[in-house]
Amino acid sequence: MINNPSHPKKGHLKSKDCKFTKSGIEYIDYKQTDILDRFINDQGKILPRRVTGNSARHQRQLSTAVKRARFLALIPYVTENLR
Amino acid sequence: MKKDFYEMTCILNPVLDEEKFSEIVAHVNKLIEDNGGEIVEVDEWGVKKLAYEIENKSTGYYVNLYFHAPGSSIEVIERNMRIHDDIMRYLTLKYDAKMLRHFELRQKGEIPTIFEEETEETTDED
Repeated sequence: MINNPSHPKKGHLKSKDCKFTKSGIEYIDYKQTDILDRFINDQGKILPRRVTGNSARHQRQLSTAVKRARFLALIPYVTENLR
Repeated sequence: MKKDFYEMTCILNPVLDEEKFSEIVAHVNKLIEDNGGEIVEVDEWGVKKLAYEIENKSTGYYVNLYFHAPGSSIEVIERNMRIHDDIMRYLTLKYDAKMLRHFELRQKGEIPTIFEEETEETTDED
């Protein structure tokens, strides 16, 4: 979140609309890590729907995509909290 | 025989040289073709940094394959890949109708953009 200025938790989220529904995307690809990065926090956890405004369908797809990306080491399971 | 569309991503041992990489990719391709599959696309991403260590290695050579194959062949292919020492990890996905439409869009380069501030072109219909 600290490294990501456009993170939804940083008050960057203007509307609570589902971004995926709005763009008309049908399948969330685990290879597009730039998109997945927007929906995980700095620890690597998936953000809840109440924060991102995702629709239920896309939140399910997103969680599958994130888990696939984690398996292939594209995004981390856990990030060390540097403090 | 009924054939489905599959996607496979595998991570190869990064310690090897270019020749060995193409040799393994050819080996996997042959494995798929020998089991009645046809390769559609091979996409080599090259050496990438891993988000966490796998087998004490911090980088991996990613290969992304798309192919048609009968369902029974996947078992054989995966067993052979598991035995192979230089394939560190693999993930096979069977494509459904939604994913196929997404794949076609991707080939045409028409994936709808989600965050408009990144790419200037907007795909808003409303």
